[in-house]
Amino acid sequence: MHRRFHDLLPLLLVPALMLSAGGCTPRKKTDTANTLNTYQPSRIKGLDPIYADDIYSGTEVKRAYEGLLQYHYLKRPYELAPNLAEAMPEVSADGRSYTFKLKKGVLFQDDPCFKETGGQGRELTADDVVYSFLRLVDPRLVSTGWWVLDGKIEGLNEWRESAKHAPPDYTKPITGLQALDRYTVRITLVRRSAQFLFALAMPFTSIVPREAVQHYGKEFLNHPVGTGPFRMAEFDRNSRLVWVKNPTYRKELYPSEGESGDKEAGLLEDAGKPIPFLDRIVVQVFDETHPQWLSFLSGKLDATGIPKDNFAEAVGGNHDLTPELQKKGIRLHKNPGIDIVRTTFNMKDPLVGRNKLLRQAISLAYDAEPYIELFFNGRAIPAQGPIPPGVAGFDPDFKNPYRQYNLEKAKELLAKAGYPGGKGLPPLEYSATADGVSRQTTEYLQKLLAPLGIKLKVNTYSWPEFQAGVKNARGQLWSYAWNADYPDAENFLQLFYSKNASPGPNDANYSNPEFDRLYEKALQLQDGPERTALYQQMVRIVVEDCPWIFAVHRSIFSLVQPWVKNYKRHGFEHNAMKYYRVDPALKKQ
Amino acid sequence: MGAEAGSIANEEVRPARSLWSDAFRRLRRDRLAVLCLLVVLAYAAAALLAQFGWIASPWEQEVGKAFAPPSFDRLELIMGTDFLGRSVLYKVVHGARVAMSVGLLASLISVPIGVLLGATAGYFGGWWDDAVVWFYTTVASIPGIMLLIAITLMLGKGMTAMCIALGATSWVHLARVMRGEFMKHKSREYVVAAESLGAGHSARIFRHIFPNVSHFVIINFSIQFMGAIKAEVILSFLGIGAQGLPSWGVMISDAKDELSRWVFWPWLNGTTPVWWQLAGATSAMFFVVLALNILGDALRDALDPRIK
Repeated sequence: MHRRFHDLLPLLLVPALMLSAGGCTPRKKTDTANTLNTYQPSRIKGLDPIYADDIYSGTEVKRAYEGLLQYHYLKRPYELAPNLAEAMPEVSADGRSYTFKLKKGVLFQDDPCFKETGGQGRELTADDVVYSFLRLVDPRLVSTGWWVLDGKIEGLNEWRESAKHAPPDYTKPITGLQALDRYTVRITLVRRSAQFLFALAMPFTSIVPREAVQHYGKEFLNHPVGTGPFRMAEFDRNSRLVWVKNPTYRKELYPSEGESGDKEAGLLEDAGKPIPFLDRIVVQVFDETHPQWLSFLSGKLDATGIPKDNFAEAVGGNHDLTPELQKKGIRLHKNPGIDIVRTTFNMKDPLVGRNKLLRQAISLAYDAEPYIELFFNGRAIPAQGPIPPGVAGFDPDFKNPYRQYNLEKAKELLAKAGYPGGKGLPPLEYSATADGVSRQTTEYLQKLLAPLGIKLKVNTYSWPEFQAGVKNARGQLWSYAWNADYPDAENFLQLFYSKNASPGPNDANYSNPEFDRLYEKALQLQDGPERTALYQQMVRIVVEDCPWIFAVHRSIFSLVQPWVKNYKRHGFEHNAMKYYRVDPALKKQ
Repeated sequence: MGAEAGSIANEEVRPARSLWSDAFRRLRRDRLAVLCLLVVLAYAAAALLAQFGWIASPWEQEVGKAFAPPSFDRLELIMGTDFLGRSVLYKVVHGARVAMSVGLLASLISVPIGVLLGATAGYFGGWWDDAVVWFYTTVASIPGIMLLIAITLMLGKGMTAMCIALGATSWVHLARVMRGEFMKHKSREYVVAAESLGAGHSARIFRHIFPNVSHFVIINFSIQFMGAIKAEVILSFLGIGAQGLPSWGVMISDAKDELSRWVFWPWLNGTTPVWWQLAGATSAMFFVVLALNILGDALRDALDPRIK
């Protein structure tokens, strides 16, 4: 999923801002004891699952909505588990067909859109699954998640084609996507796929009720009606979201197995108890890091990443918590982030897109070491290609020839590209978000390019505007991060597949027939040395074409208040908070 | 006839000249005002020299390690360095260049608008006066910073957008003053005389009345200049002002996070938060704004006949 390239951790928790005394209007006092206070480092675009292509809206969408599958919260390596499905699907002998049995008695949240029942949520059925998937496919809705199903399910691309010319018919039978009875869905793939099931745990494929879509129309974006553990109580997209426990949520239990060490860490104390434990989740939007940090220190935020300028205050040179924070009982969690931070070249652009030597020259001038020190306090490693460590296909010995900082060679390539000393090259259009850290990153990039004589024309936007610009292939360069959606390198390689070009996730609009061919071939292979070899071959093609400056892979440091229980960072599960518990007694202290 | 006409012209010119020289004498006697004038001129000179790259150049260059505290080792390190190891002193000087050019350009846009609208409204009266008064009342009733942000965002940020936005929002006061003055002057004897000699409307407005009220423009100019500098800093702080330039507002924006970063400072033999960007930018802004304020008051004392 897309992510701003410089934020620190996807979940930020903020408290009910009980504004301090003195003249402020007092907020209605609600019972805040069992509230989790979290944050988002960016504004939320909306809460329709089919547009949830960034980690921030994805996380918010998943509080209210659920998919057929989810991830096991505690087990590592990451493992899929049933969610709305009763069990993992039955797979046919040829491996192409999956039959899902839905849980019975799953209710949508109560909402005025259910007119027939006077506002009471109705039961979820197999038809809802088909309907929700088709919304993702419907060309008129221009979903940003179509790529997860594109070319994968039998008959789905044909349905999409026919819907381009006539109003789409959601009831038309599709061979690969069938509701066999009230509780059974069968999905048949065009060909075997090792990654397909992961797609069913992503926010895009969450199940929505038709009534809500029809009742709210365009406003559906702001009115989530799902089957999930939380329902929306308040939504101000620029500043705050409040979620409350869904009273009609079915009985789901906290997992009773984990990996070794979980028991000692107290993560199994709630095993077998019904979730969610929280009554409320209050999400504050922080554009800037300083207020976020101060909120955490004053206990108004239950977990946070560590802003770069506060790093020394939080964590010493040995990367351990400082004594002050230790005394408060705050815990530090360190995890590798399965992600890549990069700067994208817009390959559709007639200038940077057609000049490989220019891109390679810029890539060579990009010095990642100071970047890691300045912006991540050492919490990152330089990237050599798109695949991060921790997923199959990552090659620790591979050195990208264009990512070894070498100014001389960069100048040489720039001259070969037709712009000796940067002469004749117009300022490149660089898009960025408008916050302080982003501006500093831009300044860093400008500084790196100055010796080449390359100038940037900087355009700054809010996060939703920025994403819209990227989707429309506006601008020549931008910095972005990609966070893995599932634990397979394919999730990174699909970012270069030509059919995933904007508005899909291939924001570089990269297109190389040889790469596409290998990608399609790899899709049909199961995990194994043959596939890994293909992955590495694809990486070499991309590295040579240089549609990105591969910058860094991050590690994630998170700080958690002592009263937050059951916290374990999960790389893919968006709704980990349904497992969190707040200890009110500890919080009061 | 020729000689007579000449002597009349001389008679007319002398009092005008004496207003200005009189004002200059008063200004010179006010030591504080002279000091302020020198401060403003010094800023202007620094801005100009920086513009041509004669001093504090190039500011983008790394002069030391990141977040180096102030030291006397080299001139460029006197105010320490920023997160990329660039000289804060150089950035302050270039910040002055940005602030002064925005101040100047914004005033150059807003003054003609204010003069033109105010003068014609006061002079012609009638429906045109109603229209202009309605217009400036409307503009004035929208909170200034909102209007500024809206226009800046609409025009796509950056220096040009900021200058236009500031110019388009800061003319109201001058327009009001000019309107009042023109209403007063248009029926004065000398204007009536000019009319009977065959002077048209534009000649009366610009050749006859305007020179007699032009001191208001000078007074207003200094105040608008100061307002524009402040607005530039605020907009840049918010990230919609100067783009890719070392503005004081950008420096303050950097500083708000850096203040929680502690570094070792040999002078203290201990650690200190990174305060020098904040100190550099705010003090640079403080002195020029204060100087312009005092100068504006002194100019009013010297030039406005009503205060004599």
